[in-house]
Amino acid sequence: MERHGSPSSRPDSGPERRIRLHAPRGRRLKENLIYGIFLLSGSAAIVITLLTVGTFVVRSVPFFQEVSVWEFVGTADWNPISDFSPDFGALALMTNTLVITAIAVAVALPLALLIAVVVSEYLNTRMRKTVKPILEILAGIPTVVYGFFALETVTPFLQSTIWPGLGYANGVSAGLVMGFMIIPLAASIIEDVLYAIPRSIREGALAMGATKFETVWKILLPAGISGIGAAFILSMSRAIGETMIVTMAAGMQPAWPPDPSGTMMTMTASIVNIATGGEHAMTDFIWGAVFAIGLYLFVVTLVLNVISHLIVERYREQYE
Amino acid sequence: MTAPIGDHGQARKLRWRRAKGGVFVTVASIALLLALSVLVVLITTTTLEAAKLTGMDAMAEAGIAMSVRAFNYETDQDRESIPYLSVSNIISGSSAEEIGIKQYDAITSLNDEPLDTMEQAWQILATAEADEDGMLNLSISWVPAVDRLIGELGSQSIPGQLGQYRASIESLNPGSPAARAGLQEGDILMDANDLPIQGRRKAWGAIIAVAKRQAPSEPVTLTIERDGERMDVPLDAERSGTLVAERDIWEAIWDFATSLDSPNRPERAGLKSALLGTIYIMLVMMVFAFPIGAMGAIYLEEYASKNVFTDTVQILIANLAGIPSVAYGIIGLQIFARELGMGNSVLAGGLTLGLVILPIMIIAARETLRAVPPWVREAAYGVGATRWQVIRSQVLPVSLPGMFTGMILSLAQAIGEAAPLILLGASLYVNYVPDGLLSGFTAVPLQIFSWVFRAKAGFNTVAAVAILLLVGMMILLNALAIWLRNRYQKGW
Repeated sequence: MERHGSPSSRPDSGPERRIRLHAPRGRRLKENLIYGIFLLSGSAAIVITLLTVGTFVVRSVPFFQEVSVWEFVGTADWNPISDFSPDFGALALMTNTLVITAIAVAVALPLALLIAVVVSEYLNTRMRKTVKPILEILAGIPTVVYGFFALETVTPFLQSTIWPGLGYANGVSAGLVMGFMIIPLAASIIEDVLYAIPRSIREGALAMGATKFETVWKILLPAGISGIGAAFILSMSRAIGETMIVTMAAGMQPAWPPDPSGTMMTMTASIVNIATGGEHAMTDFIWGAVFAIGLYLFVVTLVLNVISHLIVERYREQYE
Repeated sequence: MTAPIGDHGQARKLRWRRAKGGVFVTVASIALLLALSVLVVLITTTTLEAAKLTGMDAMAEAGIAMSVRAFNYETDQDRESIPYLSVSNIISGSSAEEIGIKQYDAITSLNDEPLDTMEQAWQILATAEADEDGMLNLSISWVPAVDRLIGELGSQSIPGQLGQYRASIESLNPGSPAARAGLQEGDILMDANDLPIQGRRKAWGAIIAVAKRQAPSEPVTLTIERDGERMDVPLDAERSGTLVAERDIWEAIWDFATSLDSPNRPERAGLKSALLGTIYIMLVMMVFAFPIGAMGAIYLEEYASKNVFTDTVQILIANLAGIPSVAYGIIGLQIFARELGMGNSVLAGGLTLGLVILPIMIIAARETLRAVPPWVREAAYGVGATRWQVIRSQVLPVSLPGMFTGMILSLAQAIGEAAPLILLGASLYVNYVPDGLLSGFTAVPLQIFSWVFRAKAGFNTVAAVAILLLVGMMILLNALAIWLRNRYQKGW
């Protein structure tokens, strides 16, 4: 009954006993001000994001007006800073990148799978709490350090033991070391998926008489296939974008046809190569080549990331 | 129906099934150990390389700077190169000067081990046993430079062999070992032990090569021709002494951390400009990226309405976190260094690294905000709090530790980033300390990259020391983040 009457119209309520339905003007102003600040910084984050994407697209247009997409993607001669006849065929760069990526993923994925299974299914909580930070350190080590390791430790070791003909700069040790760098990333993705599988499924399998190994192999891994797929694709994306290891350990000359026992140059390394080639070499046109490679890298990794995201979403098992 | 007890087929099958499990666990554990051992191997090999720093420092303290030269000796079949260490500089007042080593002398052995490379010398200095005060007493032997060993040599053409010369003594240095051995001016040097002396320039090299092969006390037998007659003269070419060097690991590291880079003297090269450069760009990065990242996350999570636009932005940000950092280097160079005219400066470096970590930062901050359950907010709204009051007094207090953890982790990542900074055109030799936002800079990972590719021996060692420092910083930051997480983590 009192609902319709406004509070101030009640006979026995003086102004000082009024119930406030709205915040006072000062507070409202403050609210709006704070909202404005957050809106501003929120849009700053968004603008920076869009600017990054936009710059790539805009800046590589002049390059592709001069060099056809076909020449860029389909020919293998890469010689951008030549004074006489620069060549802009990125095929060798792309295949070199693929070979090193393949080595890295071939090392990382199986090991990561095994490690994820051990950590999530076989280790007790205490062991897990020791092992996981160590793996995180492995992931956090700066890539220049891995480059140094590949160049100064892994290559000499391979040369003196199993592969005497291996070059000083080569794609094999770069790929191997990169693989070990990626393991923690891939393992943690797979582990997350395994962790999400409810206990009842494991117990059900064990109750049916399966051994622990059979539970892992036939029940958990098929259920976690989305994680394995995502790990595969994210490892690839990470390997394609890795720069310092390949710049330091794989050399500065693209190999065509690709031969991982000798010098190789990936797309990322070619960017560094042009950038360290001195200011005299930096004409706008060559700089356009950097943007073209950058755009290519950007698109490839973006597509891979989106695919991995979709895999996880699409194949995620829904448990009650 | 039920299998009879003792059914061997069944039992074997079960054993087999269990064995498969055992094999699997073994293989998988080996995989885990392999991954962990890579870390151990990496740290160990780097530490071994870095340990030579104490030797380098001790050598510098003892007052000797050296470089590797080689004596090329040609036989009929091929050419042999015998390396030796030439003294490029002696610091006055040092132990090396006291025992009489001079510039251009050749060091032949240290602690009775013949020396071919500088690494060997550093290794010996780094591992030799010291007395209680950390002082090393090392026996060192050297061959004095040719003008102090013999005097001035001249060339004489060989009769009958056009264009071939041999070494003769043009003027003898009185008081030199050669004068004491009885050599005279005009003598023609033929062989040193079995090594033929091939001309004036190679005479000294041949003597060093022989001296290196034998004990310091043994003389080098010079075969000379005097007035058409050949005779053997024993020459005490080598001198020995006890070099006193101080080895102090902490001082070595301190010197390393506080001196500037040196283009070709690894024992003098230090990390000062790189360390300060890293600190400066990290400060710029934190000032730029942390507030925008945190506030952007709060806006997206607490204020923005859920629509197609914010969804797109969210997906975009998530994917930007997975873009290779070298791509941000391109953007940084284009936008900050060129279009905004900052050049290769601390400001441009910090902003570029800010771009790298911004998406990571936003994602981490949103995660912690999202971990605050909605009923906390609803309860606060329910008692009449405004949106900002809800955020300030309910959401932020519980999510700040998480945000700090995210910030520290992104700092740990940014500290090791080299690729974006290389693209900015940071020059690879910087021997000054940045003195402002627009000053040029180098950073620790860049310095490592630059050292690894310097040809001179010893730069690997300083690179390894820098690597240990960098990894140490990264582990410290990670440990801090883990501690924060465990200390303030709140379960709902």
